[in-house]
Amino acid sequence: MKRFEPRKIGLALIAPAVAILVAFLITSLVLLVMGDPVMDVWRTMFQPPLPRHYVAMLNSATVFYLSAVAVAIGFRMNLFNIGVDGQYRIASFAAAVFAGQAWLPGFLNIIVAIIVAMATGGLWAGIAGYLKVKRGVSEVISTIMLNAIATGLVSWLLAKARDPESIGSNEVHTRTIPESSQLEGLALVPGASQKVYTLLLLAILVGFAYWFVLGKTRFGFDLRATGQSETAAVASGVNVKRMTMTAMVLSGAVAGLVGMPLLFGVYHNYGTTFQPGLGFAGIAIALLGRNHPVGIAFAALLWSYLEVQSNALQIQAHVSKEIVFIIQGVILFAVVIAYEVVRRAEVRMEQVKVARELAEKEQTVPAGQGASA
Amino acid sequence: MTAIAPEAVNAIDNSTYVVELEGITKRFPGVVANKDIEFRVRRGTVHAIVGENGAGKSTLMKILYGVQRPDEGTITIAGEQVDLHSPADAIEHGIGMVFQHFMLADNLTVLENVVLGAEKHYGIGDEARARISEISREYGLDIDPDALVADLGVGARQRVEILKVLYRGSKIIILDEPTAVLVPQEVDELFDNLRELKQEGLTVLFISHKLDEVLRVADEITVIRQGTTVATVDPKNITARQCAELMIGSELPTPQTEESTVTDKEILRVENLVLRGESRSILDGVSFTIHAGEVLGIAGVEGNGQAELVEVIMGMREQDEGQIYLDGTEVSTWDTRRLREAGIGFIPEDRHRHGLLLEAPLWENRILGHQTQKPNVTSAGLIDAKAARADTERIIAEYDVRTPGVDVTAGSLSGGNQQKLIVGREMSHHPRILVAAHPTRGVDVGAQAGIWDLMRAARREGMGVLLISADLEELIGLSDTIRVILRGRLSDTFDPEKVTAEDLGAAMTGADEQASPPPTDVAHTTSADGQEWPMKTNQQTGQQQADQHHDEPGAEGKPL
Amino acid sequence: MRQTRKFAAVVAAAALALTACGSDSSEEPTDTGTADGTATSSDTAEPMSDVKVGMAYDVGGRGDQSFNDAAAAGLDQAVAEFGIETTEATAVDGEPESAREERLQQLIDAGYTTVIAVGFAYAPSVAKVAAENPDVHFALIDSTDAEGDNIANLTFAEHEGSFLVGAAAALKSQSGNIGFVGGVQVPLIEKFQAGYEAGAKEVNPDITIQSTYLTQPPDFSGFGDPAKGKTAAEGMFQAGADIIYHAAGGSGGGVFTAAAEAGKQAIGVDSDQALTAAPEVQDVIITSMLKKLDVAVFEFIKAEVEGNFEAGAQEFNLAAGGVDYSTTGGKIDDITDQLDELKQKIIDGEIEVPTSPAG
Repeated sequence: MKRFEPRKIGLALIAPAVAILVAFLITSLVLLVMGDPVMDVWRTMFQPPLPRHYVAMLNSATVFYLSAVAVAIGFRMNLFNIGVDGQYRIASFAAAVFAGQAWLPGFLNIIVAIIVAMATGGLWAGIAGYLKVKRGVSEVISTIMLNAIATGLVSWLLAKARDPESIGSNEVHTRTIPESSQLEGLALVPGASQKVYTLLLLAILVGFAYWFVLGKTRFGFDLRATGQSETAAVASGVNVKRMTMTAMVLSGAVAGLVGMPLLFGVYHNYGTTFQPGLGFAGIAIALLGRNHPVGIAFAALLWSYLEVQSNALQIQAHVSKEIVFIIQGVILFAVVIAYEVVRRAEVRMEQVKVARELAEKEQTVPAGQGASA
Repeated sequence: MTAIAPEAVNAIDNSTYVVELEGITKRFPGVVANKDIEFRVRRGTVHAIVGENGAGKSTLMKILYGVQRPDEGTITIAGEQVDLHSPADAIEHGIGMVFQHFMLADNLTVLENVVLGAEKHYGIGDEARARISEISREYGLDIDPDALVADLGVGARQRVEILKVLYRGSKIIILDEPTAVLVPQEVDELFDNLRELKQEGLTVLFISHKLDEVLRVADEITVIRQGTTVATVDPKNITARQCAELMIGSELPTPQTEESTVTDKEILRVENLVLRGESRSILDGVSFTIHAGEVLGIAGVEGNGQAELVEVIMGMREQDEGQIYLDGTEVSTWDTRRLREAGIGFIPEDRHRHGLLLEAPLWENRILGHQTQKPNVTSAGLIDAKAARADTERIIAEYDVRTPGVDVTAGSLSGGNQQKLIVGREMSHHPRILVAAHPTRGVDVGAQAGIWDLMRAARREGMGVLLISADLEELIGLSDTIRVILRGRLSDTFDPEKVTAEDLGAAMTGADEQASPPPTDVAHTTSADGQEWPMKTNQQTGQQQADQHHDEPGAEGKPL
Repeated sequence: MRQTRKFAAVVAAAALALTACGSDSSEEPTDTGTADGTATSSDTAEPMSDVKVGMAYDVGGRGDQSFNDAAAAGLDQAVAEFGIETTEATAVDGEPESAREERLQQLIDAGYTTVIAVGFAYAPSVAKVAAENPDVHFALIDSTDAEGDNIANLTFAEHEGSFLVGAAAALKSQSGNIGFVGGVQVPLIEKFQAGYEAGAKEVNPDITIQSTYLTQPPDFSGFGDPAKGKTAAEGMFQAGADIIYHAAGGSGGGVFTAAAEAGKQAIGVDSDQALTAAPEVQDVIITSMLKKLDVAVFEFIKAEVEGNFEAGAQEFNLAAGGVDYSTTGGKIDDITDQLDELKQKIIDGEIEVPTSPAG
């Protein structure tokens, strides 16, 4: 049918492609101005990755993906959940504490810990949702503040929930989860000793669920309708307040999953070195991926590609890997502009198309068909 | 059809032309813009530009006012070919524009508004004040330079806009749909003003799609259809009907009430709705009943509570007092979704804000508002895209929605087709009552007729309709009963068979209740509500209204 | 068992990558780019040793005027003395665990078979990479969390050094009110606080000590945010302190600025900051707690060059000269006798310095 128009898809891909190109140009310019070896940088960035790099990319992309989906749920209804960062940290902490107690055996422990993480993340995000619905507090403000509160709260609780064995070490962390509940990983990449997070599967599942719930269910329709036009949604019978609350909690619950691959696949406890900042990466990736489940996956892979490939920059090109932040930042900046340009182009294209097709129709059907009865 | 034009134009001496457009073409992707626009305007005349919505009138005016530049063609002002780059250019050439939406600062005085941006002409002090008074006197505009704009009525504000243009020395004044915001009496006043201007040697370009008005005031009429000038005609030699046929290129429909289908089965009863605003009640004891097969028309100047009444009935807003009954069941506290499921169809006033998802495809818009109903969803609560698409195809065919398919976005359709989609969608669920707010606003004539037909068909099938409209013709043509809303209160009923637009206009502005105490006081007294309306109207309407008391038992209401 | 398998796989992978590069004749094999003069600081000396040292710094890296710089000084000294080949890489805030591992692995891949990981944050990655590369020698500074036959854990008795500067602060303070600014509240930095407070109380039991940390883990920005350091120090000065000791890495610059602006004094950390800090604030630094990373790094490299690698924990304490206080600027010349007396007492075991803050 008309749903797969190559021209439209082409247009959709042009935007990110242009954005990436612009990012590389600007970054090259920055390198040039700073007197850094431009070609060395790109040679390093684009050298063929080793198998272990593919593993690292997949692993990074997994957490990026979860984070971006969490953000995208909010974006789809015009909610800016800036708080994914705090939500995943507090949720990871709660799950780590729970799993570390080893109340449940093996796999069951993992499942319940994941549920704990979702509940915690959802609850934390729910605070912002409640404030928005009941008090009209902008979720942007409240989630940013909740991030700061989460940092403090986790530090404070971490001191209380500290693994007695880690006293005297600089790495403060919760009780390590029992080995039976650790996930060794999947040997997906041939030639790499490192394993891909088992919870990559969880990310795929979340992606599928996101696609299904938003695209196929009534709830998803209501959510999208609210995002596109709150006024129209209200008139169509959507309870926007309830929707805001639900979307926020759902976003937080998915945010709660962000730390799970890390918890069960790498750290096995929540400690001071648990990777921060993933929630912010998620915002960028959701934007880049246009809130589309597949788009986000590509964006997450691009992000992790840049991240992993940048590790060699210092050693091979003698350029700080922070240059990647410039690339990522410019990509984001360019992509937001490019998407808007493309969106307008699409609207125009469609108007032209509708006008043209109607004109053709008019010509085939002689005028004067009059009004319908 | 076009036969009238060329000779009529050629017959007149070129030297008197103050505006000449030749071969003006403007291309916009997807929009009917202008192609080969050609007409001439004589000095000291009112020249009307008429055409359907979307025919290209606005683009043409923007070109003439320097907002947009034509791709081809020439503009000649007073014999001199000009190139207008900006409104400033246009003003320099003596062209002024009065927009449909006024651009006045409410909290400033007339003087301040007029001199704003035109300080170089007469300063900002007494000289300016004197000049304003002089213009006001000269053209009979009746404007006090020191009045606060916030205190002025719509008609007066429009005159301030005209004054602004004159103050800047314009000799050619473009009026974009000037009567859209006016009640009939104000229209008359405006036309008197236009005649004054004309006598003083000014030229008026009058854009409208209301033919009866155009015929009354214009010296010449240029008709635009699908972006091009089809004819320039003399209003003396043409009827409104002929003119309309030029506009749409085919025969013209009119709203005409058919035989009454009103039954005594009560569908919707609203009792004493009160909605309090910040300083006064927005809805002040509104009560009415709609029976099966009845169209209740509500007339009123915008901002008198119509929009809020709709919102309360639709459950989008909670009333402070009062009850709503649907088919005898109290639904006062139901939410929107439940009400829609219970059979209230809704054609919102602003279809872009409340009726459609402009960026979503048509088939998703077909689901909107009926997310819980077949065929849009399966029993498992999943969106049934296939069925929804198929049903959208049916609506497109049945309701003559002109679109290449169900996958184009709603935003790419013309206003009329968007509206037909909404009407088709609402009708598809066989509502018991249809709440229709301005159902033909911004819709072209062809679609308008279609929508009227649909509403009449619905009424025949026993549907109740609450019709809110600013188009008095439409109200009179479609309604079984008409009531006027003013400051949140409903008048008694008017019989559409007997009432005239002037009567309604009087009721809408409160011109018929000069003797009554201020409404804020009345709101809290018992019997004044609704009752005072027919009592002190102007003479012709008095007895008509008195006749109609009997068929509206809920009308008295019980305030507080 | 698993480790050996992993190692084999990595070697295989590396070999594969090398052959892949080799087959592409147009491109220089970047993986092995060590011969093209990439060594950062060995322009002068002829290579006298085939030891190749890869330095992995913590966030801030060379140029932080503190912790990382102290380690860099040891490296520079080794370069000057042994003419070894070196390369350096620095951590980025908020990077994933895998990035640290990758950094170490990249150094190894580039042929640097002696790897020095600066900072306790490297502990987990050193544990992992060391196990996969048994032939590579690792030095892990500030942590005993990763242990192995090819890992040397270089730690310091920071509490002992801090004790001395705490005593110095108490002796020099006129208001009887001194401050401590920690970067991030982790046990390592609490060691500084504990020693500082104990030292100050030793000479003046009634002294008021204000202690604060800039950030809480997992937020490690407290080690690299001068603005935060400045704000914290300003608060303490306003509350009556006249000398502030910082253990906050790069944030310490803010503490010095605040001291300079308030006309008060400060104590540096890790390096002799009266020499390394920005010239305009050097004057406010009365002394620095020297954590002689340079000594530790140099000694470690020296052992490597001589083929005397020794795995396991090596604590550099007062007795071993691993920590000390500095006298640059002559601001504490009048009290060095008292400080040296205390120093001897600690070395003799007469004073036991606590490693975690009281209360």
